[in-house]
Formats: sequence, C-alpha cells, structure tokens
Amino acid sequence: MSERVEIVRGRAITKRFGGIVANNDVDFVVCEGDLIGLIGPNGSGKTTLINMLTGHLEPDGGEVVVRGRRLNGAAAHIYAGMGVARTFQLTQLFGRMTVLENLLVPGLTRPHSTRDEVTRRARSYLAFLNLSHVEQLDAKNLSGGQQKLLELGRCLMLEPAVLFLDEPFAGVHPRLRDELILRIQELHGQGRTFVVVDHDMESILRLSKRLVVMARGTKIADGPPAVVRTDQTVLAAYAGL
Amino acid sequence: MRNLYVYILAGAAVLALVTADQFNPYWMHVAIIAMYYGILASSWSLLAGYVGLFSLSHMAFAAIGAYTSALLIKWFGIPIPLGMVAGIAMCCVLGGGIGWVCLRMSGPYLAIFTLGFSEIVRITIATEDGVTSGMAGLHTDPLFPAAATRLPYFYTAFALLAVSLLLMGLLVRSRWGLFLRAIREDEQAAAASGVAVARFRILAFAIASGFAGLAGGFYAHYIPIITPSMGDLNEMAKLVVMTVVGGMERLPTAVGGAFFVEFLLEKLRDLSGIHWQISILGREFDIQNLDQWRLPLFGVILLFTMRFARNGLLTPFWLRFIRLGEARKSVPPALPQEKSSEA
Repeated sequence: MSERVEIVRGRAITKRFGGIVANNDVDFVVCEGDLIGLIGPNGSGKTTLINMLTGHLEPDGGEVVVRGRRLNGAAAHIYAGMGVARTFQLTQLFGRMTVLENLLVPGLTRPHSTRDEVTRRARSYLAFLNLSHVEQLDAKNLSGGQQKLLELGRCLMLEPAVLFLDEPFAGVHPRLRDELILRIQELHGQGRTFVVVDHDMESILRLSKRLVVMARGTKIADGPPAVVRTDQTVLAAYAGL
Repeated sequence: MRNLYVYILAGAAVLALVTADQFNPYWMHVAIIAMYYGILASSWSLLAGYVGLFSLSHMAFAAIGAYTSALLIKWFGIPIPLGMVAGIAMCCVLGGGIGWVCLRMSGPYLAIFTLGFSEIVRITIATEDGVTSGMAGLHTDPLFPAAATRLPYFYTAFALLAVSLLLMGLLVRSRWGLFLRAIREDEQAAAASGVAVARFRILAFAIASGFAGLAGGFYAHYIPIITPSMGDLNEMAKLVVMTVVGGMERLPTAVGGAFFVEFLLEKLRDLSGIHWQISILGREFDIQNLDQWRLPLFGVILLFTMRFARNGLLTPFWLRFIRLGEARKSVPPALPQEKSSEA
C-alpha cells in the first residue's frame, strides 16, 4: 500500500484564551484523499483548531506544518496560497459584491491567472453548485443555503489541496443540506480532501470516512466512524452516556 | 449604443476645454478649486469607499504634499514639477507608514488615530515658524509665473484630475480593485481567499495619500500662499461632505460631489444681499447675512444623505447616466403552447 501524502499536520497544538485552554496538545493530520468528520460538543475546541490549521489564529504551543513547511505565525493568505481553504461557522461572504465577483476574488489571487480563465472557471463552479441563475445578484441577497454553497464555491476557486468546512449544514434547509452533501461527495470522488466540522451527526456519519472527536480541548478519538461511534469515551463525553 | 455616457462625457470635456477662455475669471477659479477637491474626493473615496478605511488624515496629506513641494523648491531651487513629484513620494511613504501602523484598526479607532495624525501635522506646520512660516503662511512659487490669466491653471487642474481618475479607474477595475473591495466587505474572508490583506491595506493608504499629495502640490503652486489650515479638520469635514453627498463608493460620484458642493457654496454667497424681517409671537427678527447659513445647510444635506441616500445623492443619477443608450431588456416572448398529446 502506497504511503499517503500529508497535507496539513498540527503537532501538539495548544491554544489558551485567558485562563481557558481551548486546545491542549492536539495532534491532527490531514492526508490527501481524506474525508474527515470533526465532531465534539460546543466549546470542545473544534473551530479553534481549524482556525489554527488555516492560519487565522496562531498557536501558543506546538506547530502547524503545511506540505512539509512550518507555517506558525504566517498570515492566512499564505495558507490559502498553499491550498488550505476554509469556510466559516457563520457564513462570511463579500456581501455587496456579486456572486460571480465572490468567486473571482480567490481565483485571481492565484499566480498567472487571467480574468477570462478565472471567469470561465467561476461559471463552471456556479453551474456545479446550481447558482448560475443568481450570478449577478449581490451575495447578501442569497438564501442561507445558497450562501453556504457560494462559500464552498469560493473555496473551490483556490483549487485547494484541502477544504476545511466549519458547520456547513448549520441552519440549512434539509433539501439544500442534501445537495451540499451530494456536492461534497462528488468533489471527494474527484479526489478532493475535506475536513467537515458539524453537529449534525447524521450528515457527518453519512459523509466521513474518518471521524475525529474532541472534548474539552483534547482529541479523544480518531478512526473509522463505525469504530468511533461505539467508543465508550466518546459516548461518555459527547452523548453523556 | 453602448458606452454612450463615455462619448457624452468626452464631448462635455472637449467643450469645456475649448470654451474655457470665455469663462468668467471668478467661476474659472471656482472650477479649478473644484477640480482640486475632485482629486481629493476621488482619492478619499478610493480609501474610504472602496476599501472601507475611514481615514481623517487625507487633507493632512494634501498639506504635506503642498509644504514638501514648496519647501524643496525654496531650499534647493528644484523645478516645480519635481517638487510636486517629491511631495507625492513623501505622501506615499508616510501614507504607507500610517497604513502599516493602523493595520489592526478599523471604524472609529482608525478615524480617531488618523484624526490625531492630522492634528499633529497641522500643529507642527503651525508651530515651526522658522521652516514653514507658521500661521502667517508660506509664500510659494507659481506654476505659471508669466500667465496673465488662470487658463493654464485650468488646463493643468483638468489634466491632473483626468489622469488621476484614469489611474484610479484602472486600479478599481483591475484585480487589485476587486481585492480592495473584498477587504472592505470582510477582511477575514478576503484573507481566506488568498488576498494579502495587510499588503493591500498599506498599498491603498499609500496610493490614496499620493493622490492627496498631488492635489496639495498643485494647490501650493496655484494659490501663492499656503497655510496650516489647508490640512485642518474643517477642510477634512468639507471633503467628507463632498464625497458622501456625491457617493463615496464610486469615483465619478465623489468628483461630482466635489463640484456640487464647491459650486453651490459659491453660488450661495449671493444670499448675502438678502435681508429678511420676520415676526414670531409678536417679536420682530431681522435676519441678515443669509450666506452665513450656507455651511449649516451642507450639514443638513449631509444628514439628509446619511438618512435617506447612503449611496450618495448623485449615485442614482450616475447609474441612470451610464445606462444611457443601452437597449432595454425586452420581455421574452411567450413560450409556444405545448401541443396536447391527443393532437
């Protein structure tokens, strides 16, 4: 079996906010082709971990390595340039820019990109995400579900090596949630790597091939969903059983 | 016909240039000053409207550009255009420095910080008598010493405004313009999209300050004396009114706002001859000097704009204007009735 290529590695990551330890000595590895579900109760440190693995927060201890390069303290755009894309827990779009412009921004940050080529690519992703008909609308005018899709599209424009999706199903209509799951599965089938954080256990279990569970700032389980979901530590920490 | 508005604007510009020698000298001076403010309003719109950096030090940079040029010419006898270029360079460097210091600031914090910088500049210029001649004002060399009329200044101001708008227009239509607007909308999302937020914020400050320096340099060699008040808070407030009333998210509307406010301010001076006597509850009031009320009037216009037309009073007109000549979208023809299966 060939060895899998590591994209992002968080090694012994620790983050404190005042007296609260949000992440304590967490190891987290994402390899090419992974589809990881990251779950945990509120306040378990999932978003903090993602923020550090994508350059939006600097760890107090440990290190973040992207494609073999230590990136502690580097700005978030460096991570994006190295193929680490992310969405946000509360959708963060460029509200007063059109849907198409929202996709042009990440596309044009790539070196040697041309406007024509990026526009063509943006339109093909809009078609893939069923957003072509709203291309000229301001992003703020889209529905919640469409905004989540657009945020996913903005990540895809970076042609990323890995996509961190922070609560992509939160507040999304079930029909759009199913569409989102379908798109993620389709993209994963094409070879894309995902880390999906969510509370929607059903969706996460449907999606993920590897499940990571966090509680009180530490990683308590990491493995195939079928194994992790029966783990007594996980049941105790996550479901209170 | 697409882009009809471009032809109309070009035609109006040519007409203004060809007939400029017929202008009344007073109104020509007003037009030159309006163009000076036009450069400042459009460059401030680049910073505040496009990038969302509400800086209150823009007029201070105009003063820095003016004094840098005037002093270098006075001390070293360099040609005026070189002095103006030095003023621009100085403003770019200082503006970039301010942008760097303010990297983590936005909203009211940025406004207060830049206001503080602006006051430091004004007080320094006012205090350093030996260098700047302080409040007495610094006498400057005219750009056209032999000119008998203001016509060469009119053409120069026109060219500077046109070139400034062209350069800023190219910037905002480029990928950099897209990145700047993305930063305005959401810095974190822009960074996650690969935009080097810090670099572009510094760049925006440097470029906008450079244009302010250009305007200041021109002003210094048009008006033969410059004083610290050219960079004071009153001037900054006037610039904010111009830009906001015109529409701060578009360069042409910001320039339109500068012209609208400058010309209206001058026109309202005519009110000085009007004398009103009114009676309220049996008391007679004698109202003179109505022209003094023109400044509060602009405050009222600003309040009205912020309450009812946040995109500026001129923006709706501009949006209609740029669509002139475009074919209206016709209603798509009705789909043919599907034939029933029995037919």
